[in-house]
Amino acid sequence: MDGLKKWRARIVLLIAVIGPGFITANVDNDAGGIFTYSQAGAQFGYSLLWTMIPITIALVVVQEMASRMGAVTGKGLSDLIREEFGFRVTFWLMLALVATNFGNVVAEFAGVASSLELFGWSKYIVVPVSAAIVWALVVRGTYDSIEKVFLAASGFYVCYIVAGLLAHPDWKTAALATFSRPSATGIRNYGYLFMVIALVGTTIAPWMQFYLQASIVEKGITARQYAASRWDVILGCLFTDVVAWFIIVACAATLYASGHHDIGSAADAAQALRPLVGEYAYLLFAAGLFNASLFAASILPISTAYAVCEGLGFESGLDKKFHEAPVFYWLYTLLIVFGAGVLLVPRLPLVYVAVLSQVANGVVLPLVLIFMLMLTNDRELMGEHVNSRGFNIVAWTTVIVMTVLTILMVLTQR
Amino acid sequence: MSLVALSELLGASVRDATGAVRGRVREIAVAPQDHPTRIAFLIIKTAAGECMLPPDAITSAGATVRAASDAANWERFAPSDGLLLLKRDLLDQQIIDIHGRKVVRVNDVELESTPVNSHLLISVVAVDVGARGAVRRLSKGIVPSFTLRALLERIPPRVIPWQFVDLLETDPARRVKLKIAYKGLAQLHPADIADIVEDLPPAERESVFETIDEEVAAEALEEIDPDIQVSIVESLDKDRVADIVEEMDPDAAADLLGELTEKDSDEILQEMEPNERQEVTQLLEFSEHTAAGRMTTEFIAVPETSVVDDAIEALKAFEGSAEAVATIYLTGPGQKLVGAVPLVKIAISSPAVQLSELSDPYRACARDTPQDEVAAIFDKYNLVTLAVVDEHGRLAGIITADDVIAMLRHKD
Repeated sequence: MDGLKKWRARIVLLIAVIGPGFITANVDNDAGGIFTYSQAGAQFGYSLLWTMIPITIALVVVQEMASRMGAVTGKGLSDLIREEFGFRVTFWLMLALVATNFGNVVAEFAGVASSLELFGWSKYIVVPVSAAIVWALVVRGTYDSIEKVFLAASGFYVCYIVAGLLAHPDWKTAALATFSRPSATGIRNYGYLFMVIALVGTTIAPWMQFYLQASIVEKGITARQYAASRWDVILGCLFTDVVAWFIIVACAATLYASGHHDIGSAADAAQALRPLVGEYAYLLFAAGLFNASLFAASILPISTAYAVCEGLGFESGLDKKFHEAPVFYWLYTLLIVFGAGVLLVPRLPLVYVAVLSQVANGVVLPLVLIFMLMLTNDRELMGEHVNSRGFNIVAWTTVIVMTVLTILMVLTQR
Repeated sequence: MSLVALSELLGASVRDATGAVRGRVREIAVAPQDHPTRIAFLIIKTAAGECMLPPDAITSAGATVRAASDAANWERFAPSDGLLLLKRDLLDQQIIDIHGRKVVRVNDVELESTPVNSHLLISVVAVDVGARGAVRRLSKGIVPSFTLRALLERIPPRVIPWQFVDLLETDPARRVKLKIAYKGLAQLHPADIADIVEDLPPAERESVFETIDEEVAAEALEEIDPDIQVSIVESLDKDRVADIVEEMDPDAAADLLGELTEKDSDEILQEMEPNERQEVTQLLEFSEHTAAGRMTTEFIAVPETSVVDDAIEALKAFEGSAEAVATIYLTGPGQKLVGAVPLVKIAISSPAVQLSELSDPYRACARDTPQDEVAAIFDKYNLVTLAVVDEHGRLAGIITADDVIAMLRHKD
């Protein structure tokens, strides 16, 4: 009885803190992520499923550091970077972050446009409307209500699991591929290697760390509740990668099996699924893409505005009025207006924008990760919550591998 | 007398009496124990280690610092808790701007150097929180200093004079040594303190509430968002919380304790004075969403036979909130509520007038009246206070209009 009570108390606590970690991990499966997973399945079938386990570990390690810092210090990542590394470093980092995130916002709105084009809606209507929805949602809501909307949006990723089930994959092969070592011949193949790099590269973006740490702080999670918060992070990462796994499996079972190896976008993947698995899977895939893109488009601009204003010392926060925090609201508004506006330019080379945003991500990410590691090892800041030795080994390995792979990705994109 | 920015001095080369460059400025220290604003010494990084250079051995301070003494005579620097190091403790950190009533981040620190008998007196005069400090730090070492000065002149300054700055320091021992007392903060309106505290990270919130006067702390705590209230209370010592809670309005105290775990709220109640404890415990028994949950038990009631003068005496002895005195209640035998006199009538009547003659038709509600109904009664009869009576018609407490406004605003 006592044990049961304890468990109940734990579950109640988990429900109370669940949110930031879960949401952040899920936004990671944005338009770009879904495209990469679809491509991986379509080109290489089940053979890339082994990457899911190391990717999950990397994601957990990095996200855990951000949420731990938030809980222990009660400060955002850009606050800490400013306080520990000074104004100049923060200024250039924030400039880079704005540039990177702008590219990402454009990519998300592109995802919104292409998913709704599948339903036959013109992007000239869809993009402005969704930009307005995104803007109003955040400006008019409170953190609590927004978090509920976002958690619900995370739930929609189940679409992909259902789509995966509808595709009737070969479960045994898929399971074996997940737990087997990568084959040496595959690694020597250039396209295969590129896809591995892309999979890893799409997993951890610089903005996620700023967003996660800020939402932990905003939610008021402290060092004492942190144990439960860690489960939030781990569950979020697991769910995210289960969804990713299903996307790969769905595409492997259908597109790869029928010889559709080349897809140009996530919307193409949905289109190609239609004749193979029928109307439902197609609709689910398209709806999932729309949800993911809109979801990420809601989070990116606000997270950027918070990080920049906190780091550079401008007033920030949704509880402030527009005239009290002008930089905050203008930055937020302009990111959305231009991010969505760019898409309305006729004959825009979208591929080029996507490449640029990936390159910017790749340049900023190593810096952010190294700052995070330095901060989480600072005893004056973290007290007893500094990284343990074992954790540091895993974390540094992750950072080095991530950095090398991201640099490789940037180079190969040229 | 000239102004020099902290960021200009940091990294400046230091020449000793012989004219040779001996090192660079690494830090600037103030010893608040000795003088609250004066620079105690510069810390110079030399080939021989870190040395102290007091302003009375400096002849000029700017892009180059010239010392009147020989480098060989400079004393070695030994770190100490009681020093305020401007780069480490102030630059890029958050401070409380008392004048602007908000939390801001320091971009630069303005120092004033005054020549006195061939040496200098250097004092902290203001912190820069605007674009000027930001541009100076960004372009330092890139733009020639002459051009930079001309450029900076064009940027309107945003500075906070040093006397309106409250530093944040979470370590209590060090806070005492640095003489940080949140003096400016404590003088603000409790609602402003509440806003500032909400913007601070948890450790700083805790340190503010550990330091400021209990009465101020109590009023500020009442104004803070309930979630943050709980996290502050959980982080403080139980006896400190008890001291603060005793000073709160009993209804606000009961609301706060109701949000805590039973264990925490019991511990706090144990630490409280018996009278206050009893009041709060009574209120805790009612649901937060009824009249009794919203009422305060601190009100003025006098026997119906009293005269105006008695009411004034009761007012003088009253320790509760200012909102609660808007109405003086009259009680008959057995503490039964029989009348209510608005404060205005007492103020304009002569001392010997019977209060019962001044009594208005009064409104009262039962303790279990839902809060929506309470709000409706306030609205319908345009009330400032409303009496709450028990099942025998005895006055149990009163609800004041400010509670109703708070209740309506936080309904969702």
